[in-house]
Amino acid sequence: MFGCNLEHRATSVSQLLLGFNVLMLQADSLHVVRSNKAVLNDISFTVQRGEVYALLGGNGAGKSTTLLSFLGFLLPSQGRVLVKDKDVGADVMAARRAISYLPESASLYEHLNAIENLQYFLGLAGVDVTLGDMDTVLDRVSLAPDARKRNLRDYSKGMRQKVAIALAMLRNSDILLLDEPTSGLDPNAIDELHRIIRGLADAGKAILMVTHDVYGACQVADRIGLLHSGNLVGEFVAQGDDRIDTNAVHTAFASKANSSSLLSNPPSSNPQLSKV
Amino acid sequence: MSAFKFVLNELKFSAKDRTLLLWMAVVLGLSSLSVGFGLSEVHSQKKVIENLIVSDRQDRIAEQGKLSDWGSAAYYNFHLTYNSPSGFAFAALGQRDEQPWKHRIRMLALEGQIYERDVGNPSVTLIGRFDFSFLASFVLPLVLIVLLYDLRASERTAGRYNLLESTAARPASLWRLRALIRVSAVSMCLLIPLVFAGWFAETDFLTLLSASTIVLAYAIFWSLVCYCFSAWRKSGSVILMTLIGIWSVTAIVIPASARLIVDRTVALPSGADILMLQREAVNDAWDLPKDATMKPFFERHPQWAHYQPEKSAFEWQWFFAFQQVGDQKTEALANAYRDGRLQRDHIAAWVSLIAPPSLLERSLQSLANTDFNASNRYESEVRAFHRKLREYYYPKFFNHEAFDKAALERLPEFNSGAQAAQ
Repeated sequence: MFGCNLEHRATSVSQLLLGFNVLMLQADSLHVVRSNKAVLNDISFTVQRGEVYALLGGNGAGKSTTLLSFLGFLLPSQGRVLVKDKDVGADVMAARRAISYLPESASLYEHLNAIENLQYFLGLAGVDVTLGDMDTVLDRVSLAPDARKRNLRDYSKGMRQKVAIALAMLRNSDILLLDEPTSGLDPNAIDELHRIIRGLADAGKAILMVTHDVYGACQVADRIGLLHSGNLVGEFVAQGDDRIDTNAVHTAFASKANSSSLLSNPPSSNPQLSKV
Repeated sequence: MSAFKFVLNELKFSAKDRTLLLWMAVVLGLSSLSVGFGLSEVHSQKKVIENLIVSDRQDRIAEQGKLSDWGSAAYYNFHLTYNSPSGFAFAALGQRDEQPWKHRIRMLALEGQIYERDVGNPSVTLIGRFDFSFLASFVLPLVLIVLLYDLRASERTAGRYNLLESTAARPASLWRLRALIRVSAVSMCLLIPLVFAGWFAETDFLTLLSASTIVLAYAIFWSLVCYCFSAWRKSGSVILMTLIGIWSVTAIVIPASARLIVDRTVALPSGADILMLQREAVNDAWDLPKDATMKPFFERHPQWAHYQPEKSAFEWQWFFAFQQVGDQKTEALANAYRDGRLQRDHIAAWVSLIAPPSLLERSLQSLANTDFNASNRYESEVRAFHRKLREYYYPKFFNHEAFDKAALERLPEFNSGAQAAQ
């Protein structure tokens, strides 16, 4: 733990030296309507270079919608989203070029091996990388060399996630959008993934991840935004070398989750709610 | 990123797509099988014609030794007529499956001979043969549907769609290129056996080029339909069912309904009625006074009106006159039958404009000279040849020319129009 703090302190110094306080992602009074229903209401937040921002929320809170807005798949009905200070709506392709996106349960092609998947997706993006580069990055994400020539259908979920992370790293974009990156992973794989995410942020990437894993978000994020029913209801910021307090976030998250579950019950079966 | 690298990347990817490889193998196999069946059938028809040409000549030479008068010569001599398959018939057997393509004609009433055909298995005739035109018209769209319906939907189901769209430097081109590669691969597998078979069958280059172009245009048409529907934000099964529905309507419902309506609106006399009327006319003539036969005959051939038949004795002039009068009596029915079939075919041609599978099949049959027009042309050639036979023999009968075996060498010979075209 002590070692971790030292490392973090050193990184903070390097961030200052590299001028990390640059806005990479910005949601500005973002409203999104889907099927005549508001799914995001007046959301505003920013993500800077070298920062991990975690959007935390339950199912249907609007987390993935936020990511899709930055990728230009959903355009705001009001407000705007900016990637590197440019409105996404004005140039979707420029926004997508700046972003590496890791969808939930990253489904790469199962009939291809790790190297072939990387070659295909990087070719699609128009990124030239050598086999050596790929091996280096796969080493960094700790994918065993003997696994790299096996088709992905033989991989565990954690191994697939590593390949997807490797893809995001090899694209060398300034921004990473991660949708539930730890979903379905075992604790060791989660720790390893957090280490990788933290390392990428320390190397200057701006990372926006959405998750409902309170502990994981606190472990890796510099800031946490709490999303509830399309509203950003709170924000937690790591102070100095200290990580965000898990208990505080958990309490806030649970209270929102409980109020949500109360609201989801019909009044007749829940006398407390009818009193409210 | 260069377009070449982009295409190469997608080509490499497609080369590892087992589904595509499987369908390529299936189409290659089916196409080879269809042209193989076609070549075998055409070879067998050609062989039959070759053998018949030899046998027909030998038979006539053998008969000529026994002949002693013009009447016997006209009665006992058979004359081979045939419609040779074109160099492209192997790809579209068309009407050669059910309409006659060979006859041995005598000077007897033609209506009793011209509808004769080989007896085949009616079940097979109903289904039709598995030839290239059937494969391209009806099976190819299904393969294209299977390969293209879930172009996007399968990626959405696999959770890869947004990743692909956000990663691709040219997202719109990605789907177009992926569809193009699949369609090109399948079309190539379909056309390679056709081209090889065409080379083997010595098909006219222009015909082969036209056929390949038409098939490619047809593949592009179905690919565009599938491509447009694949962009629909619905599940794969909804898109698949919609496309299969479109195929069913254009390949089955429209042609079948049109046929039903045309059969009801354009009435045809039955072939059996024509045959019965002709047979009755010929048989009755034996018992009628000879004048009853000769009068309608002389109306068509006033130049022989000087002929006075004997009251009781058998005469070849009278015999062949009542054969012709038998044809004359069925003329109206036979013309109605032919015109009705032409009208039905004409309507079917219009209907095929809204039923692309039928349109392709008809186009290929037209290129292969195996469509209804080709079959009708052969029938007209047989009729014309039969007229020539009458024109040859009648002066011998009615001018009482002395029998001359050497003159039999100058008998009219049938020339196959289709054979001349190829």
